[in-house]
Amino acid sequence: MFHLALKMLMGDRAKYIMLVGGLTFAALLMTQQNAVFQGLLSWTTSHLRNMRASIWVVEAHVDYANETKPLRDTDVNRVRSVKGVDFAVPMYQGILKAKDSDGADKQIMLIGLHGATLFGRPPQMLAGSLQQLRLPNTVVIDELGVQRLTAKSKRTIRIGDTFEINDREARIVGICRTERHFFGYPYVFSSYDQALQYAPRQRKMLSVILAEPKPGAAISDVALAIQRETGLKAYTSEEFAKVTVEYIWKNTGIPMSFMTTIILGFIVGVAVSGQTFFSFVLENLRHLGALKAMGASTWTLSRMLLLQAFTVGTIGYGMGVGLAALFGFAVLPVGQPPFLLEAGSMIKTAVAIVIMCCFSALLGIRKVARLEPAIVFRG
Amino acid sequence: MLFRKVSFYLAIAGVVAALSLVHRMKQHPPSPGPESPPARSPYADTVAATGLVEAARENVKIASPRSGLVTRVAVKVGDRAKSGDLLFQLNDREVRARVSAMEAQLASMEANVTVEEVSVADWTDQVERFSKLERDKVATEDELKRRQFTLQGARARVGASRAAIAASRRQLEQARTDLEILSVRAPRDGQLLQVNLREGEFAPAAAMSGDPLMLLGDVDHLQIRAEVDEQNAVLVDAKQPAQASLKGHADLQMPLRFVRIEPYVVPKRSLTGDSLERVDTRVLQIVFELDRPPFPVYVGQQVDVFIARIASAAGSP
Repeated sequence: MFHLALKMLMGDRAKYIMLVGGLTFAALLMTQQNAVFQGLLSWTTSHLRNMRASIWVVEAHVDYANETKPLRDTDVNRVRSVKGVDFAVPMYQGILKAKDSDGADKQIMLIGLHGATLFGRPPQMLAGSLQQLRLPNTVVIDELGVQRLTAKSKRTIRIGDTFEINDREARIVGICRTERHFFGYPYVFSSYDQALQYAPRQRKMLSVILAEPKPGAAISDVALAIQRETGLKAYTSEEFAKVTVEYIWKNTGIPMSFMTTIILGFIVGVAVSGQTFFSFVLENLRHLGALKAMGASTWTLSRMLLLQAFTVGTIGYGMGVGLAALFGFAVLPVGQPPFLLEAGSMIKTAVAIVIMCCFSALLGIRKVARLEPAIVFRG
Repeated sequence: MLFRKVSFYLAIAGVVAALSLVHRMKQHPPSPGPESPPARSPYADTVAATGLVEAARENVKIASPRSGLVTRVAVKVGDRAKSGDLLFQLNDREVRARVSAMEAQLASMEANVTVEEVSVADWTDQVERFSKLERDKVATEDELKRRQFTLQGARARVGASRAAIAASRRQLEQARTDLEILSVRAPRDGQLLQVNLREGEFAPAAAMSGDPLMLLGDVDHLQIRAEVDEQNAVLVDAKQPAQASLKGHADLQMPLRFVRIEPYVVPKRSLTGDSLERVDTRVLQIVFELDRPPFPVYVGQQVDVFIARIASAAGSP
């Protein structure tokens, strides 16, 4: 009986392509948009993955990872004094103006790492060495930085080349791989002391204190202890990512616009697949009627329709996420647009496809349930 | 039916591709951790501070007693000087000339005294002989008296010359002291931390505002001045053990002995070498002494300091 259902489905190639095509398109649209959205959200927390630390201590009124409200130098020692803290180091972050060798202004994200330990350094170095940051006037830039800081009409910049940050010389000693910043600024790493030389003078310069808990101590407990004893805000890396994403949800229209696209994809999917499947059922109504006349129950017929709907759904889903993945593989080396495919978004798409299939099958089942077997013998 | 098969395999391939992408995107390179060991507290409860190595007794800024041209610098930076060792020599030609002139004058005055003494001897002899002649009535009393007065005059001249010689000697001594003053000597044992003076330069005797001519310090006994944020000042207890490590070399540790807590809380000095004042933070200074460790430590070097704190005092402020 189910074999018959599949034969009925595949028999009409044009209808089959229409059905699968509609669902493929819906699955592709939802998965791809969701992935781009997740990718964009992940850019807002790129700091947390480029500078790895368990605990981020910031000023009490900092709401998200890209915000900078400076701390006092001695706060590092106050954090070090908290029980359960293994070590703590200062870090500078700031958006500064750089000049390439043509004199064109470029914005960069300057990160000043603690000179002695270089804690918070980027995980992947592509060329050069990070240790040379201890030399004067040296920086490590990321791949985006290589693109941005290369002057037009000149060859690609490389290790040993110089550019200017705030009218001071910066010599490139390394190139690293980073995750992209939300605002699209290239990351430039230097030592903390060097970063203070580059940065415009302010009364307080320290942006973030990176801390690690003692082995065996729970990260969240230590963060709470820091918060209690110093009055500063201490986030674990996960918490900081969470509040940053929440901040973006609350304060920007980005999630809303993406959600609209995703919901539209869902609606279009429902409409297309529902309508195509319903017309498919209508066209095959005579066969179904014949089956019913031969004694097949409505229940059997419903199961046949469900099987057909889910076969189409599964194949459509598979091809849809496959196309989305293809898109992902294509854009990943370029780094633009943002793309982050998570198991969660695949499951969400699957659930949406299941709902679509159920809806389409339901339309057909309603028709079949009311079907008089005698219809076969009329016209 | 071929199409059915193709679409089926395409769907499977699509899901596999998507899952592999999900898996790949979940991979993050592991945290690289610190590049060299960071400063860690050896105590369970601690007060962290930043410290500066300094000489145990305060450094001596060597000054010049007289303004003058420097003719010789007898020491190099890093030399060890004993108390009284020559540090530098000011131009002494003028004073030396004055001394030699005085010595010559003294010699001439002494020769003069000898002449006077001969004359005294001559007149003494004459007075003796004329008093005999006067007794024998060969000479007149007038002749004797005249010789006696001449003798007295000669004796008085000898006295006056001797007094003049004594005065000249004092003057010579003074000139020699002046000469001695032009050689600047170490006031105490120590090492020369700075020498900002070269032969041919002019050393002013005025009070200095800039760099000292030379900086002499006792670097055998070092101490560390640790600065604790005023908000943590209540957590610091006297006589608690402490440990310091060189900035950037957390493995080079030095045990510290408590000396004193400076009773006055001072504005934090910014150690970035920036002249801009940033004094919204005040710090409590605690002085520790340390033995010279087996690795080199220099005066002026920054250290990370951890001071033990009593667990009961660890409550939240």
